[in-house]
Amino acid sequence: MTEASTQTLDYASQALSLAQSVEGPEWLSGLRKDGQQSFEGHAWPTRKTEHWKYTNLSALNKQNYAQLVANDSVALTDSEAQQLYLIADLDAVQLVFVNGHFSETLSSEIDLDSVEVVRFSQADEDQRSVISDNLGQITLNEEHIFSALNAGQLDDGVLIRFLKNKKTETAIQVVHLTTAQSQSFSVNARLLVVSEAGSQGVVVESFVSDDASQTAIVNSITECRIDDNSKLFHYRLQLEQEDAIHIGGMHVQLNAGSQLESFHVGLGGKVKRVDVVVNHEGSGAHCDLKGVYLPKNSQHIDYHTCIEHKVPHCTTSEVFRGIIANQAKAVFNGRIHIHPDAQKTLAELNNRNLLLSNKAEINTKPELEIYADDVRCAHGATIAQLDDNAMNYMLSRGIGRQEAEVMMSFGFINELLNGLAHHPIQEKLRPILADLFGKDDSLTRHLL
Amino acid sequence: MLSIKNLQAKVEEKDIIKGLNLNIKPGEVHAIMGPNGAGKSTLGNVLSGREGYEVTGGSVEFLGKDLLDFEPEERAREGLFLAFQYPVEIPGVSNLEFLKASVDAVREHRGQDPLDSVSFLKLAREKCKAVNLDQNFLKRGVNEGFSGGEKKRNEIMQMMLLEPSLCILDETDSGLDIDALQVVADGVNSQRSVDRSFIVVTHYQRLLDYIVPDYVHVLANGRIVKSGGKELALELEEKGYSWIDEEVV
Amino acid sequence: MTEEINELIKNEYEAGFVTDVESETLPPGLNEDVIRFISSKKNEPEWLLEWRLKAFHVWKEMDEPTWAHVQYPEINFQDVSYYSAPKSMDDRPKSLDEVDPELLKTYEKLGIPLHEQAALAGVAVDVVFDSVSVVTTFREKLKEAGVIFMPISEAVHEHPDLVKKYLGSVVPQKDNYYAALNCAVFSDGSFVYIPKGVRCPMELSTYFRINEQSTGQFERTLIIAEEGSHVSYLEGCTAPMRDENQLHAAVVELVALDNAEIKYSTVQNWYPGDAEGKGGIYNFVTKRGVCHTNAKISWTQVETGSAVTWKYPSCILKGDNSVGEFYSVALTNNFQQADTGTKMIHLGKNTKSTIITKGISAGKSQNAYRGLVRMNPGAEGARNYTQCDSLLIGDKCGAHTFPYIESKHPSAVIEHEATTSKVSDDQLFLCQQRGIDVEKAVSMIVNGFCKEVFKELPMEFAVEAGKLLEVSLEGSVG
Ligand SMILES: Nc1ncnc2c1ncn2[C@@H]1O[C@H](COP(=O)(O)OP(=O)(O)OP(=O)(O)O)[C@@H](O)[C@H]1O
Ligand SMILES: [Mg+2]
Repeated sequence: MTEASTQTLDYASQALSLAQSVEGPEWLSGLRKDGQQSFEGHAWPTRKTEHWKYTNLSALNKQNYAQLVANDSVALTDSEAQQLYLIADLDAVQLVFVNGHFSETLSSEIDLDSVEVVRFSQADEDQRSVISDNLGQITLNEEHIFSALNAGQLDDGVLIRFLKNKKTETAIQVVHLTTAQSQSFSVNARLLVVSEAGSQGVVVESFVSDDASQTAIVNSITECRIDDNSKLFHYRLQLEQEDAIHIGGMHVQLNAGSQLESFHVGLGGKVKRVDVVVNHEGSGAHCDLKGVYLPKNSQHIDYHTCIEHKVPHCTTSEVFRGIIANQAKAVFNGRIHIHPDAQKTLAELNNRNLLLSNKAEINTKPELEIYADDVRCAHGATIAQLDDNAMNYMLSRGIGRQEAEVMMSFGFINELLNGLAHHPIQEKLRPILADLFGKDDSLTRHLL
Repeated sequence: MLSIKNLQAKVEEKDIIKGLNLNIKPGEVHAIMGPNGAGKSTLGNVLSGREGYEVTGGSVEFLGKDLLDFEPEERAREGLFLAFQYPVEIPGVSNLEFLKASVDAVREHRGQDPLDSVSFLKLAREKCKAVNLDQNFLKRGVNEGFSGGEKKRNEIMQMMLLEPSLCILDETDSGLDIDALQVVADGVNSQRSVDRSFIVVTHYQRLLDYIVPDYVHVLANGRIVKSGGKELALELEEKGYSWIDEEVV
Repeated sequence: MTEEINELIKNEYEAGFVTDVESETLPPGLNEDVIRFISSKKNEPEWLLEWRLKAFHVWKEMDEPTWAHVQYPEINFQDVSYYSAPKSMDDRPKSLDEVDPELLKTYEKLGIPLHEQAALAGVAVDVVFDSVSVVTTFREKLKEAGVIFMPISEAVHEHPDLVKKYLGSVVPQKDNYYAALNCAVFSDGSFVYIPKGVRCPMELSTYFRINEQSTGQFERTLIIAEEGSHVSYLEGCTAPMRDENQLHAAVVELVALDNAEIKYSTVQNWYPGDAEGKGGIYNFVTKRGVCHTNAKISWTQVETGSAVTWKYPSCILKGDNSVGEFYSVALTNNFQQADTGTKMIHLGKNTKSTIITKGISAGKSQNAYRGLVRMNPGAEGARNYTQCDSLLIGDKCGAHTFPYIESKHPSAVIEHEATTSKVSDDQLFLCQQRGIDVEKAVSMIVNGFCKEVFKELPMEFAVEAGKLLEVSLEGSVG
């Protein structure tokens, strides 16, 4: 730290020099170079940058991230680690990365005939060509500085390929576990999902950490190509410890007749920012996007979603809800963009927020940009208190005010959890989220 | 059990209850009838302590205590139960967790141990059955998407679970089909006992064929303007309310 | 069906004629001398000249904003003329009879026959032609009530204390690029002062018109409603057809002191450019009001003109229990672009705001709502309700919604909703089947769509606004 503080601690230049020192597979070097170039072309986001208006990145500058850490000092036992991400009763296999490094011992042997799961570094000829053909095709590096950086630092990643016309019930869970280290470090995570035509699959992305103060910055980019008439269930669970820094994105291409059901949950962090971009590229596609964000203390969380309707006859249903406690700050920006050809689009966005304290802050901006006339689009955003009538009803049944508040706040989130297709994920998340609402067991005892 | 003396209350700066007197002894069933907007629901809300309903005069004694001293949840725990005219929906909060929270709070107040989950579930299922509600309703959000009749039956089920001393049923009969009316009436009758009293607010004599009241009161313009035995309900059914006005004036 | 609608929405600009009046116009260009010229032309006191020069220096340091959803070629601010006054102004008319008959004819063509309108509707009209106030009618009657209604250039001399106290108090010089420019070069506008407890006995009204070629219009309006007073102010705007783009950068400041109420209505019909997108007014306007305790400011606007509109009439709800309202109809056609909306800044307790906007896009136009609702840490119990509806007519236009919603108080409640719809073939067919022609049907549907806003307009304006929409959507068909 003493050594670090003598250097200029500007994150952008650190990240670039880190990128230049990355040693990854040669066949990915083109992507890496492009990413670095694109990153260099970006101005570092400030408050004046529209899409970073409410999220301050200065926290990134205060540390020295210039080094990668080796995977040596992990204080957790395997079973402690598994506690963090395993989802009871979920039919799933895991790929686990600890501080950015693949963990053989924690990861499952994956032997399924309907899906291929492989790290880029281990990919065979055929898989490499799938990766080369797709990686970086959906992300727009010129628009997303952190996806440019992610490409620039690309050393490895994971390919999940759901094979044509096959249904995979087993969920593929990709886990990133970060643990406190003596040195600040960065984790560059990349996931490519290819759902081939007529396939169906489930992907769970879990980001978890140990309890100690976090020293990592995680940049995680996921790309999904969802081909004709295939369906992807996707869960992105960002459950890291509260001072974690996480900047990530999910970029999706939906082809004709395909479906995406994507659910996001984000506990707050020192800085957390996730961009979800869904491109409707084929007629008849459907996107169902849901998310909840729950920052507390002095945390910050920012979800930016952008749905691009480029072709006719597609539908989007998007619901995000947030509860902001203490001095925490949340940002939600939900954009729906209907291109001139996207006639007969149905798109709806709903964002609701609860502020629990007079130091908490929410900034929300639902945006519609519409260039076609025969469409039905609507958005709504509310910031409200708990409903008085419902409160009265609970009181009149003898439930104490504080407990009623907790139950109703939880209900506000639980409504979205109830809609998840995979029940074990509901069961995993409920106690974690319930835990946020009360320091006191007596207030949360009826939640589960 | 309950003694209301010269009660006055206002809502949103508007006087609604204007000097109301009512005495209820243990085990009695009192029916309250009266024109729309008379203040019947307001009375229930005032007694249960709803926020925004301001008592401007009079007193209410409930089981020997000053009811108006208590917070709404304390009144519930003391044994006052209001079955709402329009039960509210609370999405995301499951009926089961809601019921357990409620029953636990009331039991705790009575110095009883909380029920463990298994026995509670058993009990709740039993009560569901008693009001002819499918057990699925326990898993759903509180009143969420329930039909009008289902909401009313859910109210009666809660009443059965909480075993209150005084039950105020605000138009629990409206919106019920004939069979459901029978179910609700049976539910109420099964709860009648020497130490439990009822206030039954209704517009229809029909309910009173099933739940036979000891007294019938007419509430109009914030006061009880006429009281009588169960025959009064029949008279009202026949003649409406206008003759009372004349009589009072 | 789309074809037919396209036919329908081709409209002709009725206010597009040039008035042939001799006028005194400054050559294009902006520097300190120009500002000194404007100031001396008006015999302004030294402090005002200083104020202008300060604004000019601020402006030179600023960049033109680019965040709005509009596109236009870069404006060369040195190509604009910053002063133009009809020549005959030097010997000002004392009464309407003395007004240049050419001018009066202009107003007649615009459908505002001064005599009649003034007499019939009891409207006091302050007419701003290019940059100077021509005449203010009904001044005497207002004087009896203690209401001051006069060109701001006169108010500077007659009520210097009031002007000095409030000018720039709501929209400071450095507020934004166009406001700074206006502060430097504003030439005239209206000044209104309603004394304590007075209900202004009639609607006050101003018509603005840009006539001269290559002139910019930079009027400045200042309305002060003292405690417990009430005023309703109407503003109408037109400009003749010109091939090149003309600049309009106005500033309106409203001050509603405790328990006062200001209702400000605008019908804006600046020349929108032709069907090819040539010409038209660039309308960059800053309008803002501040509400003290229990005060209320209500903005209602019907925007059908201008090639480019950049306008966000706003309320600063400073006092507890104060109320802000914004009702807007914005119609864009052909190549028009509008980026308009409001800002509601809630500072006081129990402040309330309502935003209702109706955007209608036709032709190849782009129509954006941009709004900000902000609940500051002191805004306990504050409420906002926002409803933004867009109607698209034809498949070449765009409708956009960019609401910024910020809250820092847990008891503040904000509700925002936006919807988009189109004039559907089904609706049109139903009307036709009932014997209503397409033209009438479209106009009925659009009028129905705007009803919520029209009902906020003063009567005589509501009729005008309805007609204006009809004109904008009507065309050669039938
Ligand atoms: N929250 C409230 N705000 C304003 N007025 C209210 C409120 N609650 C009740 N009132 C008014 O008080 C009066 C009495 O209402 P109440 O609901 O008690 O009537 P009711 O006798 O139950 O009628 P009904 O037979 O229609 O149920 C009505 O005029 C009603 O509009
Ligand atoms: Mg009632």
